[in-house]
Amino acid sequence: MPAIRSPHESGGASRGELGGLIERERLPSGREDLPEPIVAHSQRERILVAMADSCANKGFGATTIADIVRPAGVSRATFYELFEDKEDCFQAAMELSLADAMERVVGAFSPDKPWATLVRDSAAAFLDLLASRPAFARMAMVEAPASGQRASEMHAAGKRVLLTLLDRGREEAIEAAIPASAGRAAIAGAESLIVGQILAGNAERLRELLPDVVYITIVPYLGQEEALRHSREVEA
Amino acid sequence: MRPQRERLLEAAVRIVAEKGYAATTIGDLTREASISRTTFYELYPDKEACFLAAFDSVVEVLMRRIVRAYEAEEHWPERARAGLRALLETLAEEPALARLAMVDISSVGPAAQRRHRVAMQRLTPLFDEGRDFAPRGHRLPANTSRMAVGGVTGLIADDLVAGRTEQLPELLGDLLFAVLVPYVGPHAAVEEIRLGEGRPQPGAADGPGPATAGRPPAGSP
Repeated sequence: MPAIRSPHESGGASRGELGGLIERERLPSGREDLPEPIVAHSQRERILVAMADSCANKGFGATTIADIVRPAGVSRATFYELFEDKEDCFQAAMELSLADAMERVVGAFSPDKPWATLVRDSAAAFLDLLASRPAFARMAMVEAPASGQRASEMHAAGKRVLLTLLDRGREEAIEAAIPASAGRAAIAGAESLIVGQILAGNAERLRELLPDVVYITIVPYLGQEEALRHSREVEA
Repeated sequence: MRPQRERLLEAAVRIVAEKGYAATTIGDLTREASISRTTFYELYPDKEACFLAAFDSVVEVLMRRIVRAYEAEEHWPERARAGLRALLETLAEEPALARLAMVDISSVGPAAQRRHRVAMQRLTPLFDEGRDFAPRGHRLPANTSRMAVGGVTGLIADDLVAGRTEQLPELLGDLLFAVLVPYVGPHAAVEEIRLGEGRPQPGAADGPGPATAGRPPAGSP
């Protein structure tokens, strides 16, 4: 599934950013020069964006099909051609959010980077992505773990990937006997801070958490001095 | 006969643990609590409000036990250890309560998630005493204790979901590490786990001597 691409990811405001994406990608109705699959593809993406937006604003339970089709600029009939029902649409939006977030983190990966640099770059990329798209941030971080088998499994799988990357730090760890759960605890700690910021409605300021996230993920492996040094460097 | 509200909240804890929040109906709750629907609606406007009230009562029980254990110890990090042990033991003894407080709450909706976070953040003072143990001249990140709490609740939730409720007390060492490592670093945190397991390092002080994570450096508050 193609991730929703937004070339203006650095853009700030939440609804404006998503609204802009919708506007820009809206195809004039009745364009006959466009092949059918492209039209359908774009409609699908607009619907998914509208779904994420509505969930962020009023929650999944209160979201109606009208809340989705109106901003997406599609008809109800089109909606039901592309999705079985509201749940199906929600799952698709969720999977897209998670896939996008993971792609960003894994994209920061390179075998040549020192481990601590990798952690810093991945954390920064992840926070920037979430901050640039608050509605999707909410889906990936708040709704996904609590909304049904498929989404919560994807969320868990994403965390396992992060854990694998983070736990490479064991090769450089200054203490041999750190518990097996150390990386999982660090990720849970960072996650709870991020979720708190999203729930407080401050998703667009997630980047401010980078020094904290860098500290908590590095400290079990490299110790306090190094973790503080990296934390201060990303603050600057 | 116990007050209806109390019966209802206990019923909510039991039923939600059994069937999950989404599948629980108001009919289930009134049946289990032996109250009428009318009484239910006199007490709470809907299922969510009832569930949140049940959650609050569970949190009160947990916090009381944790704080009592914490205050019985004089020094940090023994205080943090005692508080964590009380938390784990209570959860292991009361599996229904554990699920409600640590797992089901996150599936109820944004209001419940906020409530859960506020409740868990009440644990931060248990850990923030650790700030006095930071390396001299260094200030730890502002959110250190929040992240420590997040690590603790994350590890507990993982074990609950995996069905290891009864074995929760075995998690004490892992939780202790998660809480201590940002404050004292990995060496001292590992040492503290060893002390807790009654396996002091050769040469460690006998008796109730200070733990290896040590006292705050001289001169700190």
